[in-house]
Amino acid sequence: MRVVAYLVREAFSNIRVNRTTTLIAVATTAFTLACFGVFLLLYLNLRGVISSLQDDIQVVLYLDDGLPAQQVSDLQQRLKTEPGIASLAYVSKDQAVADFRAQFPSEAHLLQGLGENPLPASFVVTLGPRFRSSESIKRLADRMKDIPGVAQIQYSREWVENLATVIGYVELAAIAVGAILSAASVTIIASIIRLTLYARRDEIEIMHLIGATGAFIRIPYLLEGAVLGALGGLLSLALLKGGFEFFKLQLGAPGRLLGISSGFSFFPDHISLLMVLVGLLLGFTGSGVSLLRFGRAKA
Amino acid sequence: MIQLFHVSKYYDRRPALSDVNLQIAKGEFVLLMGPSGAGKTTLLKLLFCAESPDQGQILVQNRNVARLRRSDVPYLRRSMGMVFQDFRLLPKKNVFENVALPLVVQGASAFETKRKVTEALKAVGVEHRKDSRPTTLSAGEQQRVSIARAIVNGPIILLADEPTGNLDPELAGEIIELFKAINARGTTVMVATHNRQVADQVSRRVVTLNQGKLVSDEGVGQ
Repeated sequence: MRVVAYLVREAFSNIRVNRTTTLIAVATTAFTLACFGVFLLLYLNLRGVISSLQDDIQVVLYLDDGLPAQQVSDLQQRLKTEPGIASLAYVSKDQAVADFRAQFPSEAHLLQGLGENPLPASFVVTLGPRFRSSESIKRLADRMKDIPGVAQIQYSREWVENLATVIGYVELAAIAVGAILSAASVTIIASIIRLTLYARRDEIEIMHLIGATGAFIRIPYLLEGAVLGALGGLLSLALLKGGFEFFKLQLGAPGRLLGISSGFSFFPDHISLLMVLVGLLLGFTGSGVSLLRFGRAKA
Repeated sequence: MIQLFHVSKYYDRRPALSDVNLQIAKGEFVLLMGPSGAGKTTLLKLLFCAESPDQGQILVQNRNVARLRRSDVPYLRRSMGMVFQDFRLLPKKNVFENVALPLVVQGASAFETKRKVTEALKAVGVEHRKDSRPTTLSAGEQQRVSIARAIVNGPIILLADEPTGNLDPELAGEIIELFKAINARGTTVMVATHNRQVADQVSRRVVTLNQGKLVSDEGVGQ
């Protein structure tokens, strides 16, 4: 127990004594993690936006004009048995006109003089969460289009697919950038710890001479790396949070008007914790790498 | 206690030690003499496993150190004390912390550490400097602290490499007296030096090396 306390005390003493290197290590780790964090934030928010947009995805089945009420009722029954359909709403021709007038009051004159109501009756289908992918929607539409009485099926397939592609690219970019920056972070921390090791090689040799085991000598450096990494992770979170709030502020009124800013959110707690843990792990690995190299150089 | 059989060590194919045979009994005080480059430091390094021999066998407390696993070296060193010409103290730790280090690495309790460190500092006469940093001490005091660190564990063997090299003759004499006192308590002491005055003061067994070869082994007194 006393040995553990000594090792922890040594690690924190190293951090306190070598303030400049500590600051450099924490700042560089924070910067690299923050760069990765920007991508992660972008990715998570885009995914959130997609998810909320997918909640709104509806498939509209326009019906043949003059379809008898009985056939409409049969069709409704048939649609209710279809897996993937969460809810179903019938919009009559009259309702369609009323909706049009309500949504586009300035364009209501377009309907005047046409005589007969040109808008078709329709079923507005809302899909279950598991059936909102572009493939699922396409499969459903393919099944529906041949049903007698269905004139046309409309859904926003293309933009759903485009958005999914964009998300895929952002995900890939986040992984690539994350991998590169993680390697950079490990290298930076490894270099800093290696400098510390060289600066303290006499001390390390003395520890060897008085009978300290390799683990006893290495553990404070590993702890030091882990603490520096974790501090870097915390600082990166602070930077990201500051940047995020600034961005939201800049987006301001136009963003609220478009309903964008309210959809943006910062990392949930578990992702924030993960960022700190990743920093800790990077720092620990960096120390481990430099200790390995230092050990080899000594041998 | 210490036995060397046909030990040779080479650096860049040049012999630092050549076919050295030596036996040191428990409780002996041995001076290792010879000019610079004679092989004194190399011999000590072989004994505390900082180097391994290219030929021959070395037994320390009946353990063949030439075949010792790397992970076992720290445990062998815990039974030895080492003193160097340049003191090798940690400048960022105070005297007490420096002397306590060998006990800390072994996980000794705080009570035991305090007791043993105080005893060791008393034995070498620097108890009053326990809170000072090594850099604020005189050379003689620093060497006393390094001796306290070497004996704090109660080692069976004490190895010293030119321990008086940085000291004036008066201080050197005091340090040698300390080694004699430590030896009187039963610790085997081996001191490497090129200083003839030290040999005259000690009047014990003198082993002389020259160009890596053991050229004389004179038992004086004991």
